[in-house]
Amino acid sequence: MNSIERVFAAVEGKSTDRPAVTLTLSLYGSKLTGCPSEEYYTNPQAFADGQTAVLEEFHPDILFSPFALAAEGEAFGSQIAYLKNNAPNISRPVATSVEEVIKLNIPDIDSHPRLQFIRESVRLLSAKHGDSTPIAGITMSPVDLPAVIMGIDAWLETLLFDKEGTKRVIEITSQFFVKWANTLLSDGANVLVLPCDFSNPRIVTENILKEIATPVFKETFSEIKGPIIIHNGGARIVPFIKHYDMLPNVAAVLLDSRDSISKARDEVNPTRLLMGNIDGPNLYRKSPERIHKECEKILTDRQDDHHFILASSSADVAYETPKENIHAMIRAAKDFK
Amino acid sequence: MENRIIDKEKMNKNLHESLVSALLNVDRPLANQLVDDWIDVNGVDGVMIEIVNPVLEIIGEKYQKRKDFSLAQAYVAGKFAEDILNKVASQQKTITDDIAPKRPVVIGNIEDDYHPLGRKLVGIFLRAKGWEVYDLGVDVTAEKFIEKALEVKAHVIGASAMIYSTAVNIKKLREEINRRGLARKLKLAVGGGVFKLRPELINEVGGDGTAESAVTAPEIFEDLWNESTKEG
Repeated sequence: MNSIERVFAAVEGKSTDRPAVTLTLSLYGSKLTGCPSEEYYTNPQAFADGQTAVLEEFHPDILFSPFALAAEGEAFGSQIAYLKNNAPNISRPVATSVEEVIKLNIPDIDSHPRLQFIRESVRLLSAKHGDSTPIAGITMSPVDLPAVIMGIDAWLETLLFDKEGTKRVIEITSQFFVKWANTLLSDGANVLVLPCDFSNPRIVTENILKEIATPVFKETFSEIKGPIIIHNGGARIVPFIKHYDMLPNVAAVLLDSRDSISKARDEVNPTRLLMGNIDGPNLYRKSPERIHKECEKILTDRQDDHHFILASSSADVAYETPKENIHAMIRAAKDFK
Repeated sequence: MENRIIDKEKMNKNLHESLVSALLNVDRPLANQLVDDWIDVNGVDGVMIEIVNPVLEIIGEKYQKRKDFSLAQAYVAGKFAEDILNKVASQQKTITDDIAPKRPVVIGNIEDDYHPLGRKLVGIFLRAKGWEVYDLGVDVTAEKFIEKALEVKAHVIGASAMIYSTAVNIKKLREEINRRGLARKLKLAVGGGVFKLRPELINEVGGDGTAESAVTAPEIFEDLWNESTKEG
């Protein structure tokens, strides 16, 4: 089986030659090719070369588009800072209030250079590897996008204390999200990954999720022409997972490393694909032996659950992670009988 | 007389519970209304000590115990504290009558870090506990931190960073504090998302301590202040 067959068999709950496995190695490609961060996150060929190096070195079953959420903020006009051995970050949001957000032009998906970088990266990955490896396009949900346009604090303030303002901002981000997400799919992404921050229990309450985020997700996800993976956003997601389970086009949920997979399974549709739950950003801290053992334990626990993919949880695997640690996780899936 | 004191204590305790419940439901207007009602009866004097600080302490304890405590809840608790501080400030000539004495502290996001939310929250909770907060904003160099601390006679600097790449810049601040021979009288509190993910970073960057969250941050500032005054 190739990776596409393996991953889609997991989506359908069919048996596979071995468990599917992936890690978020979007950043790690720059380490493998020795490419400086700024070059890696602005030059699509440099990014695609990094992902090719990831594939050749580790053979994960899914490849990722640039995990550079700040780029979407930059497309709206925010300033970004490039950081050594890390993805870029917002240095100055373009807006500080709802009034300023609603005056902004929605970025042109066909001309903005930063969006072109992401699109071209996806097209290159798809052209080179798309026939054998699924490409996941990472994008922000309409309730997370405002954080890179107006800053986390201004957005949280709006979300908590200004209902009308929240609605007006989300109208804009929803419009962009639907167009952008469908464009990534048409450029070659097989699936979308949505890191959920302003809809996870570490950031918001369940009421905020139910009253604000879920209606927006229902409406916008129904317009997406492809499957969506809900990414845990670095927080436990099981407390909210039942809300995600009911949303249109959601194919999978990526769990946090602290989540109980069996508890998650109890909360969702039996055919819902679950992914996780090895801590990606902290993978560098463990020995390869320990990683292999932890993966083996998860796979043993899930051996009768065909709707499961072993994956790294949370943000990108850290730059300083030794290659052996990543190999240990991949090997665990390959060794598993 | 004694009965009246007991009644007031009981009423305050009930109010604490109602306020905690309102804040966990992120209901800032209700929390403010409850305190306004208390002020109508008791006056503004004592509202910080009798009402706000005990409520923040309960929230802090809950934060440490509960896995599902959200940033939204911490943020609303911070805004609530700020609301009441503003009320006190507008109704008193100075708020030092209520929460004295004030001690200066300098906080900021370290050089290249642009994630202000946690730092702002720390500032709010410190102010609520009576600190005089000098907030230098984002992207603050080691020199700026130290110059301000010396200017305002602060014994503690709070440096915040969200991610690893920027947290390592706190090392420069540590080195500069040491180079100027200030390590005993100027303590360095570090904080931000990355320190939770990587606790070993506290030592790596030379931090003297950290807090679980903004809600509980005043404790570490208190400890470090006491340490510095003993040592310095």
